[in-house]
Amino acid sequence: MDPSVLTTLKILLIGQSGVGKSCLLCRFTDDTFNVDNAVTIGVDFKMRKITVDNNNIKLALWDTAGQERFRTLTPNYYRDGQGAVLVYDVSNRDSFTCLETWINELNRYSTKSNIIKMVVGNKIDKERQVTREEGIAFARRHQTLFIETSAKTKEGVYMAFEELVRKIINTPSLWEKLEDANVVRCNDDHSVSEQKYCYC
Amino acid sequence: MDVEDVLGDVVTMEDLKKFEKEYHNQLTTGTVSQETKFHYAWCLVRSNYPADIRKGLILLEQLIKHEASDDDAKRNYLYYLALGNSRIKEYSTALQFIKAFLHMQPENIQAQNLLATIQKKMESDAHKGMAVAGALALGLSAVVGIGFALSKSLKK
Ligand SMILES: Nc1nc2c(ncn2[C@@H]2O[C@H](COP(=O)(O)OP(=O)(O)O)[C@@H](O)[C@H]2O)c(=O)[nH]1
Ligand SMILES: [Mg+2]
Repeated sequence: MDPSVLTTLKILLIGQSGVGKSCLLCRFTDDTFNVDNAVTIGVDFKMRKITVDNNNIKLALWDTAGQERFRTLTPNYYRDGQGAVLVYDVSNRDSFTCLETWINELNRYSTKSNIIKMVVGNKIDKERQVTREEGIAFARRHQTLFIETSAKTKEGVYMAFEELVRKIINTPSLWEKLEDANVVRCNDDHSVSEQKYCYC
Repeated sequence: MDVEDVLGDVVTMEDLKKFEKEYHNQLTTGTVSQETKFHYAWCLVRSNYPADIRKGLILLEQLIKHEASDDDAKRNYLYYLALGNSRIKEYSTALQFIKAFLHMQPENIQAQNLLATIQKKMESDAHKGMAVAGALALGLSAVVGIGFALSKSLKK
C-alpha cells in the first residue's frame, strides 16, 4: 500500500435504476458525462484518490445495478461499507419515494452500525418533481448528510464525495484498525517492526 | 487486501454456497432455470479458485449458446465470460468476449473499462514475462560462463 495513503474507504452507491449513480461516479472519477448511459451490469467498481483536509484517502467505489436479475445477489456488497450514497432523481418522484426502501435495505445489510449515509438528489439541471426542502426533511428524519447534484453540469458532485469522506474520517471507529494497520503512527506504542510504513 | 479493479471483486463463500445449493436442487428435479444457472455462474466466476471460475465459464457458455433470451441477457453473459477469463489470465479469450460485447453496444462505459483493465493486465503480465525471460537468459549465460571457465581450467 502507498505509504502516503491514510486509509482505503469502501463507499456504496445505492438507489433506483436510472437516477444517475453510474453517471455521478463517472463525473467524479473521470470527469465525463454520458448522455445515454447503459444500465450497469451486476456490480461495477471504481477507484479514486481524494485529498481531504490534507489526508490522502483511497476510495473504493461500488456501483450497484438495480436490475431484478441481480437483486438477490447484491446484499453482500453492503458488508464493510463505511459510507453509502443514496441517490434519487429530483425530476422523478418515484425515485424519491422508494428511497425509504433503499435506506431500510442498507440498515438491514450493512455491518457497520455507524456507516455514514448521504442522500443525494441528482439531476437538478432538469425540471423538478421533488423540492429541496423535501429532500432535506427526508435526510433529517434519517440522520444523513444531504446534497443536491447534477452529474451533467458537475454541480455538487465533488463536494458530495468530499463531505462524505470528511465525515467518515471524523469518525475514526469506522476505519481505524489497530490490529492490522498498514499505517503506523509515530506515537503508537503498538508499532511492530515488520510494519513497513510510517505515517506522521 | 485492497481491491484495485473489477477483477478483484470476490464472491463471498456464503453467496457461492447458497446459489450452488439452489442450482443443485434444481438439477435433481430436472430443470434448471436460466436465472438460477446465471446466478450460480456469476458467483463461480468471482471465486478465488480457478476450478470454480472454469466451471462458471462453462455454464456461461451454455447459457450464451442455448439460452440467451434477449440482448440484455446476452450482454450479461458476454461481460462475465470476459471477466472470468481475465481472472484466470486467459486474456486473449477475455478480449474476444469483451470485443463481442462492444460490437453489440460500443458506447457501454462499463465494458470499455473492462477492456482497458484487461489490456492493462496483459501489458503488465507481458512485462513480468519479459523480466523472467531476461533473468533466465542471464542465468544461462552465467552457467555457460562457468562451463567455459571450467573447461578452460580442465585443459590446463
Ligand atoms: N439531465 C441529467 N441527466 C442525468 C444526470 N445524471 C444521469 N443522467 C442520465 O440518466 C440516465 C441514467 O443514468 P445512470 O447513471 O446510468 O443511472 P443509474 O442506473 O443510477 O446508474 C442516463 O441517461 C444519464 O445520462 C444529470 O445529472 N442530469
Ligand atoms: Mg448504473
